[in-house]
Amino acid sequence: MAQALVFGLTQIASGTAFGLMLLGIAIGFFVGILPGLGGPTTLALMLPFIVKMNPVEAFCFLLGMTAVVNTTGDITSILVGVPGEPTAAATVVDGHPMAKKGEAGRALGAVLMSSLVGAIFGALALASAIPVVRPLVLTFGSPEFFMLAVLGITFVASLSGQDFLRGLISGGLGLFLATVGLDPMSGIQRYTFGQTFLWDGIGLVPITLGFFAIPEVVDLAVQRSTIAGGRVEKLGGVMDGVKDTFRHWWMVIRCSAIGAYAAVIPGIGGATTQWLAYAHAVQSSRDRERFGKGAVEGVLGPGAANNSTLGGSLITTIAFGIPASITMAILLGAFLIHGVVPGPDMLIPEPQGHLGLTFSFVWITVISNIITVGLCFLFLKQLIRVTQIRGSLLLPLIIMLIFLGAFAEKNTFEDLVLVLMFGGLGWILQRLNWPRPPLILGLVLGPLAESRLFLSTDNYGAAWLARPGVLAIGVLTLVGGFYPLLQRWQARRRQKGQPSVPNAASTNGAEPSPLNWGILFTLLILAGLVWALWESRRFNFRAGLFPWAIGFPVLGLVITQCLMELTGKVSNAGGDVAVEGSELSRNVVNRRTAGIFAWMAGYFVAIWLFGFSTGVTLCTFALLKIGAHEKWSLSLLLTAATWAFTYGFFGRLLHIPFPDGHVSLWLNLPSFF
Amino acid sequence: MHKTLVSIAAVLVGITSFSGIALGAAPFFEGKVIRIIVGLPAGGGYDAYARLIARHMPKHIPGNPTLIVENMTGAGSLISANHLFRVAKPDGLTIGHFIGNLFFNQLMKQQGVEFDAQKFEFIGASAKEEAVFAFSKKSGITSLEKWMASKTTVKMAGQAPGAAPDNAIRIAKTALGLPIQLVSGYKGTSEQRLAVESGEVAGTSYAWASMRATWRKSLESGDVVAVLQAVPKPFADLPKVPLAMSLARTEEARQLIDVGLHKSGEFSRPFALPPGTPQERVQALAKAFQDTLRDKEFLEEADRARLDIDLVTGEELKKAVAGLFSLEPVVVAKLQEVLFR
Repeated sequence: MAQALVFGLTQIASGTAFGLMLLGIAIGFFVGILPGLGGPTTLALMLPFIVKMNPVEAFCFLLGMTAVVNTTGDITSILVGVPGEPTAAATVVDGHPMAKKGEAGRALGAVLMSSLVGAIFGALALASAIPVVRPLVLTFGSPEFFMLAVLGITFVASLSGQDFLRGLISGGLGLFLATVGLDPMSGIQRYTFGQTFLWDGIGLVPITLGFFAIPEVVDLAVQRSTIAGGRVEKLGGVMDGVKDTFRHWWMVIRCSAIGAYAAVIPGIGGATTQWLAYAHAVQSSRDRERFGKGAVEGVLGPGAANNSTLGGSLITTIAFGIPASITMAILLGAFLIHGVVPGPDMLIPEPQGHLGLTFSFVWITVISNIITVGLCFLFLKQLIRVTQIRGSLLLPLIIMLIFLGAFAEKNTFEDLVLVLMFGGLGWILQRLNWPRPPLILGLVLGPLAESRLFLSTDNYGAAWLARPGVLAIGVLTLVGGFYPLLQRWQARRRQKGQPSVPNAASTNGAEPSPLNWGILFTLLILAGLVWALWESRRFNFRAGLFPWAIGFPVLGLVITQCLMELTGKVSNAGGDVAVEGSELSRNVVNRRTAGIFAWMAGYFVAIWLFGFSTGVTLCTFALLKIGAHEKWSLSLLLTAATWAFTYGFFGRLLHIPFPDGHVSLWLNLPSFF
Repeated sequence: MHKTLVSIAAVLVGITSFSGIALGAAPFFEGKVIRIIVGLPAGGGYDAYARLIARHMPKHIPGNPTLIVENMTGAGSLISANHLFRVAKPDGLTIGHFIGNLFFNQLMKQQGVEFDAQKFEFIGASAKEEAVFAFSKKSGITSLEKWMASKTTVKMAGQAPGAAPDNAIRIAKTALGLPIQLVSGYKGTSEQRLAVESGEVAGTSYAWASMRATWRKSLESGDVVAVLQAVPKPFADLPKVPLAMSLARTEEARQLIDVGLHKSGEFSRPFALPPGTPQERVQALAKAFQDTLRDKEFLEEADRARLDIDLVTGEELKKAVAGLFSLEPVVVAKLQEVLFR
């Protein structure tokens, strides 16, 4: 074993392999930072090169790239509030508020350090799992996978913030949204409105971008200042963030473990583990009210988990040949081409097996992360300056990245509609104090839960409920689910006798009228849900069971929520996020909010008319010159840069298949790409 | 305001002239990106073929375009087949690779089918889907005799109604009367394999061409055993495994196996273009496809990855599909009963 470990290191220490790893890191660095550049597109382009490399070189290159993507993705999430990668969305929730408080340095320090810890943990998990993983995973079947998904869903409870009921509803709606698309068992269309692009379900990227990035754009446009809003942090913030990792050491380790071990399950990747880790960070904190407003734990948890995930997904890929992601699938292809077959052989020392190769993965993951984090620390000061650039210059950049990111996940034009819709919804949820993370968690775990539930029932009838693994996870789920409730109950008991906290509505100075936007929105949810359940009457039993099992309980919860709001039992007006802490009048805020939404709609129309790069370039110019009255020189310069970036880099170099604009279709112009 | 309008005009002019440079006379495919949309997850057999072909086909297409593979998964690749028919532009830049057995779904008017198989433009198929039924050693089903003698039904993993594994398993159950319980819903052959290895199911069935590559180690070690093959003539590397046809006792059973397993094998791995693609591009791609599959380098790499190559040309594919749609109504009715009830 030790010999193989050393052998693994010597394999990557060769000149070519190490050089390719550095190249991979360099590519991964930018892939991570740029939203819209990630996964499939990049890998498809890398593929021809990999074929010519030997296995170790190929893995140095691919793993080096993959290992750093999440780390640099977190940087974008924190600085501009747009997830750099779909797997770095959870970092936005608390990381970006930190940047807005002027604590960007601390947030970055924390996320880089925790990323490093997570990556090393994931690598160690891979190394230590090697002897035991096959028998362990083989004892798991569909029932256990289903129970693990359920366990993940109960994390919703701790993501709910102060308002438990709203959290549950939000999580339930996420599960319900996950049923959009073709039913995986019989291929029946559910809530697709006859739209082909919805058959695959609602993409995760448009929702996360809409939910988290668009409200930030609105905020930036309303405040008309910099991201940090003039608040400049005191020196040493970065080191403070690094120290935070050690202050919360055990939480970081636990989140790393969540990332690594959850990822062993087929169907769970970084997009899910980050939220599980975030939920755990919230759950294990004594002071939950700080979350969503810039709590450093909310950065540390996902930062660690999305990096440790790589080690975990490698476990399944290596031991079973089951690729957890497209990256892994391409690794698998490289395996097969070089005559290496994933499976038990990967765990046997050379020359009979490939244990040394397996251990080289461990080394690549560790070394490439150390290099990346080191590099990031060097450039941190420059990076932080992004938060001090005036908003009017950042807005076109951020809006472009949002549209680019939404489009490039599946190269689907309709996803641009989705990102705007969910942007509007996300903004409303933010304004009305509805927690957004539970919805995302429900959305990512829903499909896994549904298909594994049916497989369990088909395989074992009802007997799967009595399997020891199912019972064990079931107990864990109950404990995990009820523990937060218990804590809450205790906290409330402790508070008894103290003067009651005035509710949010009165502190905001909003008039507590029986009918307001909050109630209206809740009623809207109710109406939507009733409609969805009415629609589902046409589903057969297989296609309908999951929507019903989720929909009716959520309906009950929504009705309860409505009643409580109508009778004034809970606050129904949200915190006025946009107005909070500024002197802007209501009118100005409303006008600027409407304005920025109009601009974003304008981007969409321009893209539809003129195609992606032309549309975005025109809008960038218009937003800079007409919207913000920037100088001619600066406007033109940034416009040209946008053009070069979208048309040149994404269109010509990366071959992102942007659809043609309708103007060119009407005029019958030849295709751009 | 005036100034702004001028500026917008200036930008517009700039952009148009810039893009003008990109246009020009050259072979159509030059500088283009052709996407192969695979309807099944990355890492499976369909994906492996598509990626291999994507690497070698560019040099056989005039203009040497770039080929990339994208996976559009779901409902046993029905999503991607519909996408190819309804959404993808018929410009020769999108090639679909999905489960051809979906053509049965159309023939039997199943829900969700939004394509007309005979309108696709076929450029060829890389292999024939010839199913092998394999079981884990620990399930105890290590030979056909043991399978037939099993007192309890034997669980086999499938994907979705109409998918090749499901069709093969259902036909074996009806035509040969084998004790089978089909468990459907696994996403791709990699999940099917895991289910067999973990003991959740006893066995599964999918194309031997893919199985021998992806399950090589377990087959060599004997942890997984091939028990039955659905081909007219035995595979060279499975000389002793019994043929499904030799077990058929009635004329109806023989018909089911012939149409449902043997004939469907030809069109089960199609590479297709959207309907209405210009004929010269169809021809160019069909020829490039044939040349690729005869390319020495390609064949060597396929051999190393243990992917069987068995060329079906675009013309042959078209005929096979046409044959399916001229079946006797009685046979169609029987197949429908077996495959979708």
